[in-house]
Amino acid sequence: MNPASLNNWLPSADELHLFSPELILVGTIVAVLVAPLLVGRRPAVPALIAVLGCFVGLVATWAVSTQIADGPQAGMVPPAAGATPMLLADRFSVFYKLLLFLALGLITWLWLIGAQKRNGTNSASERGATEFFVLLLTSALGMMLMVSSFNLLVLIIAIETASLPSYALVASDKRSRLGAEAALKYVMFGATASAIMIYGVSLLYGRFGTLDLSVIASTLDARYAELRSTVATSAPVTHVAVTDAVFWLGLAALGVGITFKIAAVPMHYWCPDVFQGAPIEVTTWLSVASKAAGVGLLLRIVSVFTVTGPWPPPNLPPAAAGHTYAMTVAVLVGVLAAVTCTVGNLAALRQENVKRILAYSSIAHAGYMMMAAAIIVAPSAAGGASAATYNTGMAAVIAYLFVYLLMNVGAFGATALVVWQTGTDHLSTFTGLGRRAPWVALPLAVCLFSLVGLPPLGGFTAKWYLLLALGKTAATQPWLWILVVVAVINTAISLYYYVRIIRQMYLTDDAALPAFRPPGGGVALVSACAIILLLLGTLWFGPLGRRAQALASDIYARPPAAQAELSHRM
Amino acid sequence: MLTVGLTQYLVLAAFLFCCGLFVMTTKRNAVGILIGVELVLNAACLNLVAFSRYRVGTIDGQIATLFIIVLAAAEAAVAIAIFVNYYRTLATIDVDKGDELRG
Repeated sequence: MNPASLNNWLPSADELHLFSPELILVGTIVAVLVAPLLVGRRPAVPALIAVLGCFVGLVATWAVSTQIADGPQAGMVPPAAGATPMLLADRFSVFYKLLLFLALGLITWLWLIGAQKRNGTNSASERGATEFFVLLLTSALGMMLMVSSFNLLVLIIAIETASLPSYALVASDKRSRLGAEAALKYVMFGATASAIMIYGVSLLYGRFGTLDLSVIASTLDARYAELRSTVATSAPVTHVAVTDAVFWLGLAALGVGITFKIAAVPMHYWCPDVFQGAPIEVTTWLSVASKAAGVGLLLRIVSVFTVTGPWPPPNLPPAAAGHTYAMTVAVLVGVLAAVTCTVGNLAALRQENVKRILAYSSIAHAGYMMMAAAIIVAPSAAGGASAATYNTGMAAVIAYLFVYLLMNVGAFGATALVVWQTGTDHLSTFTGLGRRAPWVALPLAVCLFSLVGLPPLGGFTAKWYLLLALGKTAATQPWLWILVVVAVINTAISLYYYVRIIRQMYLTDDAALPAFRPPGGGVALVSACAIILLLLGTLWFGPLGRRAQALASDIYARPPAAQAELSHRM
Repeated sequence: MLTVGLTQYLVLAAFLFCCGLFVMTTKRNAVGILIGVELVLNAACLNLVAFSRYRVGTIDGQIATLFIIVLAAAEAAVAIAIFVNYYRTLATIDVDKGDELRG
């Protein structure tokens, strides 16, 4: 066989157990599809199969996580020197698989409560149970592949696998006018973004001669090493611009696709409309899983542009130091993060619909997470190439994602309980909730305070690690202080609209509105989220950070042997 | 006589991309926008094949093209299903007519 064709490889049979989470998910999808043929179309059957699949998947992911060692491409043996895998099974992707199985389980739980609640009034959702779960599980599979792929082609396929079922999920309530409109907007935005992204990928392929991200990373590394040696011999700094227009165009187009997935500026317009129009289980799924997978993808992409070696390069004039690709990417991500955060928070101020408020809040949170992505790119002078200096940012994002999952499932879950009861998602439907349904109002208030980032809740922990990482790196990269200031100001702004919901629940009341008994399963779900958030803000403050640090260690995948051979391609 | 090389293919692809972008931003008909998307995807495919043939020398670009053709078909199928659903509720496929979600 031509050795060149071995440069990208998929796992061999004895490495397949590393991908057992994905395989179990595929098996679950098939089981959900086949089940109606065997037992008839009962709505509970697909949900139960999905729950079972999630449980087995969680156990399998846990088993995989104990098997893989440190470092990128853990547990995988390349068939040829310099070959790089198309799919990675490292700690980072395993963490994501755990997170996604957890989210999948929570959404299924929420769906079951909703199905019970709507029984009789809306039989459409029951009839579509099989389709709903097939689509949900398929999009979960796409998201898992998104965070484990390290090849631009696999990345595109993964993004589409995640996106296409999501479009259909938004329209899963076929009689809903708003659902139809939301799905149309989502699919139009999504198709446009992914088409532009694929064009960008084609440009990057032409620029680097490969679709392999790890090869692109080592090519950029080699370029940076060349720059450093040029500077060290005090030759005039003419090679600082290591990149060209094709590179930047390709990267910008790729960025369109990624910002669409995480609903960041400039591709955030779909988010509030889709979140409002979609059934609330789907909204929860999109706000949690889709965003998390998008952030994971962002981290994978920016890890390609990190600089391995001392920063700034020795003897490099300060004016030139700002002009390497890594610095430019960092600044771009940072600016987008700051704008995303501010736009999300300012737009949320004047919303009257709770789903829209939470949608804009999720845009703002995407901004906070992107700030940490800017740290990842901006390397530290003190530690040089050591992974520990990068890890603060990466770990901050991982901790943030976990907390974000709980906060959003709690907030959307409580909203869902109210919406299913009252039939509207306007802010006024929360009036006097503290009296009418105290065991929904209290966990919701906890989740909202956590979204603000107030101690002693998980949201504070997450934001603390984020600001700490920003502050630490800002010692050598002073521009990061701007992000710190933006984050703090935004937290203050966000306080207003979160507290507005809480005020509506506790400080206003209307005696005409009756009290109601929420379903016990729903109260258990939101209370569990609230309690874990409380624990994360107090007892698990330190453990969360340490765990995230351990998970963040091996995202920088570089094939050791391919480096020298490929440096001529730039 | 003009020899056709990488540059010509890239220019054609860039032209297709610009056409697609123009169509996507100006058309209000959902099917029109979808056609714009297909143009951009075809530009990407052309780029991949041209780069693969003239610059890289391996066939991974051409393989990627096959995958993208399949993706485009899948995307069109889902998109058109959603258009039908939209048409059934609003009796139009003008994307501006759906204006109940705003704020």
